Amino acid sequence: MTTDPLDALRLPVLPIEPRPEFADALLRRIEARPGPLDRQTATIRYFVADLEASVDFYCRLLDFEEELRPSPVFAMLYRGDLRLLLSVPGGAGAVHTLPDGTVPEPGGWNRMTLQVADLASTADSLRRHRVVFRHDIQAGIGVRTLLVEDPSGNPVELIEPAEGYHERSNR
Amino acid sequence: MSEPGALVALYREALPQVYGYLLPRCGSVVIAEDLTAETFVAAVAAMQQGAAPDVNVAWLIGVARHKLVDHWRRQGRDERSRAIVGQPDQAVEDPWDATLDRAALHAALAELNWSQRAAITLRYVDGLRVAEVAEHLGRSVHATETLLARAKVALRRSYRRSHDD
Repeated sequence: MTTDPLDALRLPVLPIEPRPEFADALLRRIEARPGPLDRQTATIRYFVADLEASVDFYCRLLDFEEELRPSPVFAMLYRGDLRLLLSVPGGAGAVHTLPDGTVPEPGGWNRMTLQVADLASTADSLRRHRVVFRHDIQAGIGVRTLLVEDPSGNPVELIEPAEGYHERSNR
Repeated sequence: MSEPGALVALYREALPQVYGYLLPRCGSVVIAEDLTAETFVAAVAAMQQGAAPDVNVAWLIGVARHKLVDHWRRQGRDERSRAIVGQPDQAVEDPWDATLDRAALHAALAELNWSQRAAITLRYVDGLRVAEVAEHLGRSVHATETLLARAKVALRRSYRRSHDD
C-alpha cells in the first residue's frame, strides 16, 4: 500500500491547557446543571381574567389541585405531573407586560391537552356546568377529542385514547 | 452507564485533551472555547438522559468532533451567500509532491469551503475511515469519496497558491 502524501496532515491530539478562567467557569457550569429533563415538571402558563373562577374550573371540573395562591393574580395548580400556572395579566408588578406596553390576553388556539378516562361522561359533566364547547366530541387520529374553554376563553382539549394511540413508552 | 458526577471527576484530565483537539483544528481560541464548552455541556446532558456510554476522553473527543463539524456546517451556511470562485467541476487529481510542508498544508486547508475542510480534517487530520467521515457528514460513502476527491483538488490548488508565493 502506498503512503498518501496527505498523511502529512495527521495531527495527534496533544493536550493544551485552556485559560484558567475559562476552565473554572466551565466547571461551574457543568456542576450546576439542573436535574435530568425527565425529572423536571412540565409547566404551562395560562393567562386568565378571573383567578377565582379559573381555579374553580380547573380544580372542580378537571381534577387539578391547588398548590399555591399567594396573590390575587397568581395560582399554581397540579394535575399529576403537570403544573399549571394561572396569571392575571396587567396585575401588580405586571411582569408579563411587554416593554411596549402590550398586555397578554387569554384565548387563542394553542391549548393544553388533558387525557381523561371517559370522554363522554366528562363532556356531560362539563355541559351540566355550562362550560363553553368549541367543538363536541370528534374522532381524531389515535384519539377522541373535545375542545372546551375555561372561564376566560382559553382552549382546553380533552382526549381519550383510541385505536392507534401513541405515547412514548417509559424508558 | 456514567453518572454526571463522573464527568466532573474526569474534568481536569479531559479538558486539556478536548481543548487540545479543538484548538489546532479550528485555529481560534474563541471558537475552541465555545466548542469545548458545548462538548462538556452536551456530555452532561447525554449522561443525564442515560444516552452516554462509560465516559472517557476518547468518547469526549468524539463529541467534540461532532461539535466541530456542526460549527463548520453553520459557517458553511454563511459561506454559501458568497460566491465561491474557481471551484473545479471535476475531480481531476494531479500528483502531489512527495513531501509536503505541513504548516502550509494546514494553512491551505483553512481556505477550503466547510464541507471540503471537514472531510479532509476528519479523513487525514483525524485519520478516520471514509465510512466514519461519511457518518459525521451525514452523506453516503460514495458521496463522501467524491467530496474527498474534490476537496483534495481544491486543497492542492490552495496549497500551490500559498506555497508558490
